[in-house]
Amino acid sequence: MGIDIEVHGLKLAYDAEPVLEDTNFKVERGDLVALLGANGAGKSTLLRCISRIIKPNSGQILLDGDELEKFSSKESARMMAVVPQETTADFDFSVEDIVMMGRFPYLGRFQKETQKDRDIVRRSMEMTGVSHLAERSIANLSGGEKQRVIMARAVCQEPEIMLLDEPTANLDIGYQSMLLELASRLNREQKVTVVAAIHDINLAVHHFNRFVLLAGGRVMAAGRAEEVITPENIKKSYGVPASTYRHPLHGVLQVSVVKGNTGDTAAEGSPAVHVIGGGEEAMPTLELLNQEGCCLSVGPVSAQDSGCRFAHFHSLPVVVVPPFTSMNGVHKEEHLQLMRNSDLVVIPPIPFGEGNLPIFEEVETILKEGKPVYIIDLESVEERDYSGKARQFLEKLVRKGAVVLDRVDDLKALVRPDGGGKDGS
Amino acid sequence: MRTTLQAEEEKQKKTGRDLTRPLFAGGLVALLFVAVVSAMVFGAVSIGFWNVFIILVEALPFSFTFAGVEIATVYEDIILQIRLPRVLLAAAVGSSLAVAGATFQGLFRNPMADPYVIGISSGSALGAVFAMLSGYSLAVGGFGAVPLFAFGGGIATIIIVYNMARVGQTVPVMTLLLAGIAISSFLSALVSLLTYFADEKLHMVVFWMMGGLGGATWQQVQVMVPYALIGYILVSVFSRELNAMLLGEETASHLGVNTERVKKILLVGASLLVAAAVSTSGIIGFVGLVVPHFVRLVAGPDHRFLLPASALLGGSLLIATDTVARVIIAPSELPVGIITALIGAPMFVYLLKKRKKLRYFGGGG
Repeated sequence: MGIDIEVHGLKLAYDAEPVLEDTNFKVERGDLVALLGANGAGKSTLLRCISRIIKPNSGQILLDGDELEKFSSKESARMMAVVPQETTADFDFSVEDIVMMGRFPYLGRFQKETQKDRDIVRRSMEMTGVSHLAERSIANLSGGEKQRVIMARAVCQEPEIMLLDEPTANLDIGYQSMLLELASRLNREQKVTVVAAIHDINLAVHHFNRFVLLAGGRVMAAGRAEEVITPENIKKSYGVPASTYRHPLHGVLQVSVVKGNTGDTAAEGSPAVHVIGGGEEAMPTLELLNQEGCCLSVGPVSAQDSGCRFAHFHSLPVVVVPPFTSMNGVHKEEHLQLMRNSDLVVIPPIPFGEGNLPIFEEVETILKEGKPVYIIDLESVEERDYSGKARQFLEKLVRKGAVVLDRVDDLKALVRPDGGGKDGS
Repeated sequence: MRTTLQAEEEKQKKTGRDLTRPLFAGGLVALLFVAVVSAMVFGAVSIGFWNVFIILVEALPFSFTFAGVEIATVYEDIILQIRLPRVLLAAAVGSSLAVAGATFQGLFRNPMADPYVIGISSGSALGAVFAMLSGYSLAVGGFGAVPLFAFGGGIATIIIVYNMARVGQTVPVMTLLLAGIAISSFLSALVSLLTYFADEKLHMVVFWMMGGLGGATWQQVQVMVPYALIGYILVSVFSRELNAMLLGEETASHLGVNTERVKKILLVGASLLVAAAVSTSGIIGFVGLVVPHFVRLVAGPDHRFLLPASALLGGSLLIATDTVARVIIAPSELPVGIITALIGAPMFVYLLKKRKKLRYFGGGG
């Protein structure tokens, strides 16, 4: 029926290098906990302490109030099952043999497996969907199949606690969610307390309902996703700037690491580029230039625009026009300034309406000042022109010296320091 | 309806799979029988099967005499005093080596492991060579100095290796293996050094190290068999734990195996087997390496079957090779270690080629 786990003041050092420092946390019975944290934060070490592989230097681990040390090996194996990241299993045991090993803690030394044991093995294999593999050798299974077999063995131990140590690290996305779904099913249906160290926060939020964030061997935050997974916590524990947001499709909290190229992180030799306008149509251009390491600026865009979100997410300079208003003098000045600050200006294949025709004047101004301007895909302009005048304006720009590129990819050749080399064809 | 069908199918699959082991076990028993009979019949003097049978039956304490059958007492002496103890000793040594080999391979999860892998043989050799060269005439219970020193040397070595490999409360198997290899090379160097100064005793030293069962006595059998039995029981009682250990120490511990204790017991059991074997018959190679592999290839890695089957096959193999060693250049004989390697190696290579890979250990995938 699930057991609660309490960890008090756990300390552990490998060769004077502290891994766990005064770790305290509590897992209530029936909790479904994801243990988060950067590499080396102590997730695995903590789990290994709980599963009795490592003995901590000091501190207490209590299972339902009883010291872990009090239980015999078999007793703790009846309470607690472990699914490791990977199991080296390259010998000829059949899947059924491997799952049957989960019954070990229940068997006396000279006791044979009974029909009851075989039934539990069968049910465990059915639950994890490996019944059809029963006779196969574990050595010949794929990583995902093997991990489900190990899961079946853990289920077969009929544990009250299941510890998973980055169980999905080597699995493809299909098996990843299948495995974690199994863990949460065990939690739901059999009230097993589940604690899993997980690398992938975005995966973890889908399957778990409590989160413990470790940093430097201490618990930094614990609680619901909103409380634990914040940009500040991520920055502190993983050391990278990140944004959190609700996923537009499933509404679950997600984290993305910010990779914007501002002055200091821009790739050496890449030019600063200003991209005109936003909208979905500008995204391929923005994405490509960002990947190429260019220092970007964006605008003018409206506030709800994906280009605007992109600019904010990457902390890029952007000219934002509030919704339902048109450009005014201030925006115009800002826009000119951004263009002047960049090495070149790109007009992606965006739609044009009456509202954004004034942009062309500004581009013309900047063109006259000698700034290179590139227009992507002039051919298709009619399909996205709602003003009827865009081609006219663009062709005027071309006459004044703007260069037309056929495809977004042609930008690569422009912005690469070496001139694009091989694929600049 | 569907479920009964499925159950039926499952049952059939099960019996199909489970047949391998009984058949294989039957084959091994038959092999042992053939080996024992041939060992009795063949030799410098060939004794007919019926005569052997009669001699053996008459030797049984509660038995009767066959009326009208006269067998020369020389034959009786050859069978009862020479060949029978030798066969029993070969069986004990062969099965000890095979079981110890299987244990070490499982414990170290290493297909290269053999009974001598952590230096028991080098320790025994050092003891034996020391006894030969120093010419001690000490005798305990009718045993010369050589087996006593050999046994002591082997056991001392394993104790040193175990303590060297210990890190706090635990003994990681890899450290154990490495410490064993280091100690083993060191002791081998000492053995070579002693051998270098062996002068006229060189022949004796070299012969001992090649291994052989010549001059087997009932007394040797009486001492060897209890050790072999104790070692075998210790190891086989823990064969389920050994299965779990094959998945790695951590996994075994997650499954409720007290790994440190099990390791210690398995080491004690296997060391007893090896030390007893080496001190009675010198260093006989190959049996302990090849026999467990052979059994795994046929019947899988489950130690609950692997250990008894290895014992049967190891015993038969050593009886058979020893018979060949006695017969091939009779009345003189070859060291049996040469024969085990000569026959065992090609057989093993053939198996490897046929099965393509040793799936049950790393790199087989």
